[in-house]
Amino acid sequence: MLVAAGLVEAGVLRAGGHELLLLTLGASALAMLLAGLLLRWSAALAVGIGLLGVQQAIRLELGPDKLDAWTPLVAGGLLLAAELAWWSVEPRVPAWSPPGVGARRPATVLFACVAATVVAAVVVVAAGARVSGGVGLELAGVVAAIGALAVVVWVARRAVG
Amino acid sequence: MTRAATSKLGAYAALAGAGVLAALVLGRPELAALAAPFAVLLAAGLSLAHAPEVTGVLELDAERQVEGEAVTAFLELRAHTTAERLELLLDLPDGLRAEGPNPQLVHLHAGERHEVELPLRCDHWGAYLVGDVLLRAQDRLGLLAFEQTLELRRPLKVYPRGEALEKILRPLDTQTFAGNQSPRTRGEGIEFADLRQFVPGDRIRRINWRATARRGEPWVNETHPERNTDVVIFLDTFAEARSGGTSTLDLAVEAAGSLAAHYIGEKDRVGLVAFGGVLNWLTVSSGVVQLYRVLDSLLDAEIFLSYAWKDIDVLPVRTLPPNALVLALTPLLDERSVGALVDLRARGFDLAVIEISPVPFVSAGSGPLDDLAYRLWLLRRDALRSSYLRLGVPVVEWQRDAPLQAALEEVRTFRRHARVTRG
Repeated sequence: MLVAAGLVEAGVLRAGGHELLLLTLGASALAMLLAGLLLRWSAALAVGIGLLGVQQAIRLELGPDKLDAWTPLVAGGLLLAAELAWWSVEPRVPAWSPPGVGARRPATVLFACVAATVVAAVVVVAAGARVSGGVGLELAGVVAAIGALAVVVWVARRAVG
Repeated sequence: MTRAATSKLGAYAALAGAGVLAALVLGRPELAALAAPFAVLLAAGLSLAHAPEVTGVLELDAERQVEGEAVTAFLELRAHTTAERLELLLDLPDGLRAEGPNPQLVHLHAGERHEVELPLRCDHWGAYLVGDVLLRAQDRLGLLAFEQTLELRRPLKVYPRGEALEKILRPLDTQTFAGNQSPRTRGEGIEFADLRQFVPGDRIRRINWRATARRGEPWVNETHPERNTDVVIFLDTFAEARSGGTSTLDLAVEAAGSLAAHYIGEKDRVGLVAFGGVLNWLTVSSGVVQLYRVLDSLLDAEIFLSYAWKDIDVLPVRTLPPNALVLALTPLLDERSVGALVDLRARGFDLAVIEISPVPFVSAGSGPLDDLAYRLWLLRRDALRSSYLRLGVPVVEWQRDAPLQAALEEVRTFRRHARVTRG
């Protein structure tokens, strides 16, 4: 919740206008996350994280056209909020564990978030590259996005099997 | 090992898809950057995920134990592939309780062996199969959940903790085999019975020299022979009264175990009849092996609901030898067992009824009608007891906190003084 609240606050403070709208969206996101955590309801968590993303999207859309250099940090924070939220609601039993086993999970989450920040930075840097535009490039972007989603779906189907 | 997607996998896929679509629609690459970590995490997590392969062996340090004591389970797990965050639970049947950490969370590398030593407290008698080990694991990023049950079952018999009895009921008649009991008859033995005058044919060694010297003519000792007896424990398994963790059947089984152990210790022959929805019997025999047979049969005793009418004719003749003492352990709740006991008495069996009182297991209720019904029920039970007493059958009420020895003493007193009334 603290990470999500930080993301909401950062989004509002860095906005060029429409703070009330962004604040409302952020508050809705926090409310959904809180409900998801209290009710151990995964769908509410997904909606809450999604609303945080929507707040960022509206802030970017209402802001200047230039690339936001802070986006990788926001992406890392968003993933950290999501990871911590699902960690909180996942079914588990009060199990005794030998020392060391419990510390592996926070380390994994932190590593994933750092990696996420790097990946987002790569995407932002790639988006900022000076490449001449055109319909062909636009089409390539669409195909790449669809291809990325298709890869995720294929891997998921194979893994769940 | 079964595997299933966690809710996180679907949510992350939806977030990644929504972010990419929003980036395309709005033309903002930052949104693709926000979605990319979710997509990459999904792809990486699912590519690296594999079902853990874990095998195990379970051993118990004892196959037989007495109620209230502990056994130790040794579980050895071997991981053939790395198992992240493996939760393992030794699924215990009712009546057994783990005294160590259960479940446990472990991390196993490929080829690693993990040993778990888990003390188990035997809270209740019974025959158990111990060893269903439930394993649950997730992949490193928590996208897939894997579950498996290892069936490493080992048998464990928990015998009822009985009461050590000092004196028990003696049957009215003995059998022909050697034992520790002295019948009323006289014969070869070492237990002194009486003195009588010497008659031709008496052995010289039986002359009582002191009595002979005093009376001036030869007198000999008469002795009781040492004989064994047959005892049939009649366990009523038609119905029980239960409250909390104990029932009248539990008390009956404990009492039956104590009685069997004591009679067999006295070289008597003991048999068992579990008379109920499922009929179970054991013909009389003696020795330690028979004691274990009786105890094992007692572990199988349970209440089966049945509406079939059964009387004593369904029992094989061998289970009720002549002159045997039939010791009935019954809550006197079912008409079929009540009738069967009357029938046994009518056929001349030496019968004693230990009533495992269901009264402590029943509450009177709150309303006046409930109270009236409860009192009527108690009166009917008194009337039933009286009808047995009129037949010359000793009936004693044994409650769960009272010693069994006291109930047996009551029966002994009754048998010493009781007379059959007629008319």
